[in-house]
Amino acid sequence: MKNGRLDAVDRSDSFGFGVRAMADGAWGFAASQIVTSQEADRVGALAVEVAKASALTKKRDATLAPVDPVRATYETPMDSDPFAMSFDDRIKLLMNAEVRMRKRKGLRTTRAAYAVWREDKLFMSSEGADIAQRLTEVGGGIAAEAVGNGELQIRSYPDGLRCQNAGGWEILTRWDLIGNAERVADEAVALLSAKPCPQDAITTVILSGNQLSLQCHESCGHPIELDRALGSEAAFAGTSFLTPDKLGTFRYGSSQVNIRIDATSEGGLGTFGFDDEGVPATEGWAVKDGIFVGYLMSRETAAALGTRSNGTMRADGWARVPIIRMTNVSVMPGSAGTLDDLIADTDDGILMDTNRSWSIDDKRFNFQFGTEIGWEIKNGKRRDMVRNPTYTGLTPEFWGSCDAICSESEWVMWGTPNCGKGQPGQGAHTGHGAAPARFRDVRVGVIK
Amino acid sequence: MSGSGVLFGERELRAIAERALRAAKGDQAEALVIGRTGSLTRFANSAIHQNVTSREADLRVRVVVGTRRATATTNRLDDEGIRRAAELASDLARRAPEDPTFPGLPAPRVIPPSSSAYVEKTAEATPLDRARAVKTLCDSATAARLIAAGFVSTNVQEIAVASTLGTWAYAPETFAEAQIAAIGDDGSAFAQRVSMDITSLDVNGAAAEAVGKAAIAQHPRDLAPGTYEVVLAPYAVRDMVGFLGAQLNGLAIEEGRSFVGGKIGQSVTGPITLVEDPYDARSIPRAFDFEGQPSDRVTLVEKGIARGVVYDSVTAHRGRVENTGHATPFLIQPAPMHMRLEAGDKTRDQLVAGVKKGVLVTRFWYTRWVHQLRTIVTGMTRDGTFAIVDGEIAHPVKNFRFTQSYHEALGGVRGISKDLSLLVTGEQFGLMTSAQRVPALHLAAFTFTGTTRY
Repeated sequence: MKNGRLDAVDRSDSFGFGVRAMADGAWGFAASQIVTSQEADRVGALAVEVAKASALTKKRDATLAPVDPVRATYETPMDSDPFAMSFDDRIKLLMNAEVRMRKRKGLRTTRAAYAVWREDKLFMSSEGADIAQRLTEVGGGIAAEAVGNGELQIRSYPDGLRCQNAGGWEILTRWDLIGNAERVADEAVALLSAKPCPQDAITTVILSGNQLSLQCHESCGHPIELDRALGSEAAFAGTSFLTPDKLGTFRYGSSQVNIRIDATSEGGLGTFGFDDEGVPATEGWAVKDGIFVGYLMSRETAAALGTRSNGTMRADGWARVPIIRMTNVSVMPGSAGTLDDLIADTDDGILMDTNRSWSIDDKRFNFQFGTEIGWEIKNGKRRDMVRNPTYTGLTPEFWGSCDAICSESEWVMWGTPNCGKGQPGQGAHTGHGAAPARFRDVRVGVIK
Repeated sequence: MSGSGVLFGERELRAIAERALRAAKGDQAEALVIGRTGSLTRFANSAIHQNVTSREADLRVRVVVGTRRATATTNRLDDEGIRRAAELASDLARRAPEDPTFPGLPAPRVIPPSSSAYVEKTAEATPLDRARAVKTLCDSATAARLIAAGFVSTNVQEIAVASTLGTWAYAPETFAEAQIAAIGDDGSAFAQRVSMDITSLDVNGAAAEAVGKAAIAQHPRDLAPGTYEVVLAPYAVRDMVGFLGAQLNGLAIEEGRSFVGGKIGQSVTGPITLVEDPYDARSIPRAFDFEGQPSDRVTLVEKGIARGVVYDSVTAHRGRVENTGHATPFLIQPAPMHMRLEAGDKTRDQLVAGVKKGVLVTRFWYTRWVHQLRTIVTGMTRDGTFAIVDGEIAHPVKNFRFTQSYHEALGGVRGISKDLSLLVTGEQFGLMTSAQRVPALHLAAFTFTGTTRY
């Protein structure tokens, strides 16, 4: 919905199969949407032909860490199947939220959207695996835009238009889009006349949970991808400052910082039964007490480290080869209480909420983020609204400056449903639990 | 599905579209059919590590009932799959809320002739052809004691649009692409080549450019952030053109987020000319858009003066202007898909020679909006950033973060190269929709707001 009218209604489906083959010690992949025995023969043979061509530049045979092949099924748990609901019931939620936003004068654009997504996949391997999975996700949100004074200001809830989780329709109803619509609209208009973020200042920053989740995605989730660390993405997505020699010893953040890799977390976009190499979902640590201790791995990259895969290979569909993707990479809660408690404990700083701009270098070291809204914090109180808040830093220094993370009551499983990686491009759905957290001595206000 | 094994062909795509239109139940219906065979051989650490090929086709059916409409997309292109998609779109359209601003589907218009964008040899390239090209790239790097990473791809795509109003448009396209990053112990460089014809894909040129630049990119030094004169290689210029192009459309004007909003006829940049030219035979021409409407050549910026933006049928109707024929596959917003930043009169070496003290940037990375109305973008430099002193490349420097208004940076154009590079950007709908031809630029001022440590 946009500006009180329907902007787009679309339903899409895609069906097909892909074959990843190793021949002469090298990889090939071929895929087709014609699902017949004859086509399977052709595509299987083509994958082998492609693999043999790959061997032209081979330096050594590809080797895989072992996995126990299993026969299994997995299905996303849910209360209310979104595909069993009527279109009318689903659209009603958006219309009601949009009407509430449009009560506020001074808005240029209002938007409300939902997405329901399902993937049925069967994984079989020549090693004997036979795994069927059904994954379901629901997402959505509302946004208001105001234009004036040379500014375009956006406020959204809960986190842009696609705050997405694994599960059923209950995910979206839980957020109370209608109850937050007027606040979102008010804040968008108020931002037009809010004071600008202090320019090029060093201060304390408190990040909202949804912003911290993206900070974690970009500056921890990507650099712990072992394919990046080993150079497989060097020309495109990039490499990683977290090289294998740092594993187990490098101080990534302060002792407050504990980041977990967990493909079993409830509601996470990276929650599943098995990855696309047939490796079961696992849980473990990426960062423990501030020390970098774990990678996201495939069978091939795990073999390079002499270990077993922790099950993070995923393709974004039947026509793409699986690559290492984040599962749920989450900043674990601390003991700072609620957000109000954390603000009360902060003398001077800025609270920044909901991402609007994000950028990080190809080793995941230098980053810059902007959020939709900020508030000054003075003497433990939330004060004036701030527009165009931005902050920048270097990953280990930034996480090293984290001195407080809110408690479990503030922890939410957020998600990134549009993580780009690979060539041809693939979009992954990844989960990131986070609670608000405080960082000291952060450079803010990058734009003039 | 059958086809030649490479092309689906006009007859087959037309048959799919017509079956969909017959099955649709509404006042109007439109079918977009996209066929694509994409093959990409990817290498890293100087060896192929991913090598993929897939042949895909998708149908999108748009059904209109009064001012209501909906779309359904499927890749199940047998009779049953087509019928289901058409019926689903019909059902959703009947239940969708009214949209009084929707004008209905556009009436068919004559599509002007354009050069063919299809080259048989590209379509017929084999896995071995791509692997041999990769070997050329890797061997060049290895000979210079560098590591190579990148890809070589060959792509065939077909676009067909039909409607119950009588629209029919079809075009096949091919392109081949090579990208290489040549990587040393402490520095890297990048090169890219694109061609409709694989036999003219300049793989050796890409290798020479990346390897040659990587050799002088090792051991970068610190250079303080600040505002510098810059020479931007075409890879960086393409990024600027892409961001500005995203604002040069009717929806951006309507939503108040375009830097040219209310400024048509006024100066918005320095003396550059940016045109949208779907008929540019040296690009990857396409004479129609994804609603089957003829695409106009549109001057966007002429010698720094904002002249126009592009529209699709809906934004043109709402803006009470002529449709320029720039609908995109998802119909989210119109876009210029064949931009060309017009050439100047300098060689690239002359651009560098014109800088007293500045920075040469090969490539931007991870660029994102910070402030759309002011076209402020942040991002990093990557794969070859150098200090220029007294008109010569002095030494490599560590990568910068920049936070800069793109159109304001173009206010200080001091030189434009006389050669243009054909470059392509990402996919939509599994499809390459946009190609740009851009020069290298010498700009008077560009603001770097931070550095990294490599």
